[in-house]
Amino acid sequence: MKKGKVAAMSNYIERFSTSERVLHWIVTASFFTLLLSGLGLYSRLFTGYFTFFGGGQNAILVHKIGGVIFFFSSLYMYFNHKKDVSTFDEDDKEWVTKQGGYLSRDEAHFNIGKYNPGQKLFALYVAAATVVLGITGVFIWMPVLFPRWIVQLSLLTHGLIFVGSIMFVIVHVYLATIGNPGTIGSMLYGDVKKNWAKKHHPKWYKESTTENH
Amino acid sequence: MAETINQATRKGFLVDTSRCIGCRSCQVACKQWNKLEADKTSNKGTFENPRDLTPALYNRIKFIEKETSGAISWLFFNERCMHCGDAGCMKVCPSPGALYRTNDGIVAYNKDKCISCKYCVSACPFNIPRYGTDDKVCKCNLCLDRISGGMVPACAKACPTETLKYGKRSDLIAKAKGAKKALYGESDLNGLGVVYALEGPPEQYGLPENPSIPLSIFLWKDVIKPLGILGFWGSIGAMLLHYVTIGPKNIEDDEEGKGGGHE
Repeated sequence: MKKGKVAAMSNYIERFSTSERVLHWIVTASFFTLLLSGLGLYSRLFTGYFTFFGGGQNAILVHKIGGVIFFFSSLYMYFNHKKDVSTFDEDDKEWVTKQGGYLSRDEAHFNIGKYNPGQKLFALYVAAATVVLGITGVFIWMPVLFPRWIVQLSLLTHGLIFVGSIMFVIVHVYLATIGNPGTIGSMLYGDVKKNWAKKHHPKWYKESTTENH
Repeated sequence: MAETINQATRKGFLVDTSRCIGCRSCQVACKQWNKLEADKTSNKGTFENPRDLTPALYNRIKFIEKETSGAISWLFFNERCMHCGDAGCMKVCPSPGALYRTNDGIVAYNKDKCISCKYCVSACPFNIPRYGTDDKVCKCNLCLDRISGGMVPACAKACPTETLKYGKRSDLIAKAKGAKKALYGESDLNGLGVVYALEGPPEQYGLPENPSIPLSIFLWKDVIKPLGILGFWGSIGAMLLHYVTIGPKNIEDDEEGKGGGHE
């Protein structure tokens, strides 16, 4: 796998390749399309969101198309990062016991690889949620073809997993922007400062710099 | 849109199954008035026909065969929308005005506002709503056009034995109780608009003993929905609180003091 290009004189190191970034924003765009088109279906309180799409019937159509795009792009993203996000080591355990230092102002250092356990958990949740939302979505899409109890359970599950997703996404956006200054660049133009990498992901920094020497 | 029901003025049916002779005049009259096409059916070895409600069949007579010492007898049951006082279909319908309650307490619908999500199909305690080729909800609306003109619904008009009696719900119930009838649906789901005097236990008719909105639908709409909204704002609040209490993880700029240019 291509690790970041490290120009010796640069203060920056590449964290996400162009294709990784584009994929991430496809997933993001489809997620928010699904959110907007699905809000009116979630509750009559949000029926006004249907007007973005010219009525409920169109919103449902957009939700179906967005759902297919999200399903495949999100799963593809997971399989791209499967190796990095699905294994936990001793250093990760240390991070978990100290909550990654997020619940205290004290300076905390963890020997973290490309992703910390929180990021891994988020990735695994999104992957699992994608599968569950996709399957339940098919039942809700064509309810008369399936037994009623399956569709009833799907409506419940689809809503529940969505709630988990939106809560996770709020935390994700916070931690990737104002919560951790210097992070968002990795998803915009791909690079992060070396100081950022040393602080947040020292093991990954070490690996990617030695590999490229 | 009357969300709450005025039980005193509520209209409905009293269906006295002991009077039914299975003639199916109600089925025919309903089709005639509502201009519904005939459904192609097949012989399945029973007189019951059709075997299920369809997008073109808003009410039907269910034949329940009983065999007692070699002789066959039937129980007849008029299957149709029950116009629940607490209606699962209305609870889940995301399109305001697609399913609505009239001042008479009837669960009516407006196809123009139906967005074809079919949530009502899953939420109905009695599995009544159907979707036709137009992909819009359809079911019995108690001949809304007739009753608003002061007429009785077509099925009740056609019923030759007064099995189907239309009128003020409280009057119908009082009369049936006076005749010592055991009633089904008097108070379940905030009272069914169609109350039955059955000749046996509800299970015999394939009816739930205590009809209710499916548990998963209740959890979805009454638990997950409000908790989800709470979770959304709670998450945003927690992040903001984190920012102003513990704060961001800043990185020391230019620790190496190089200031070497990017690019």
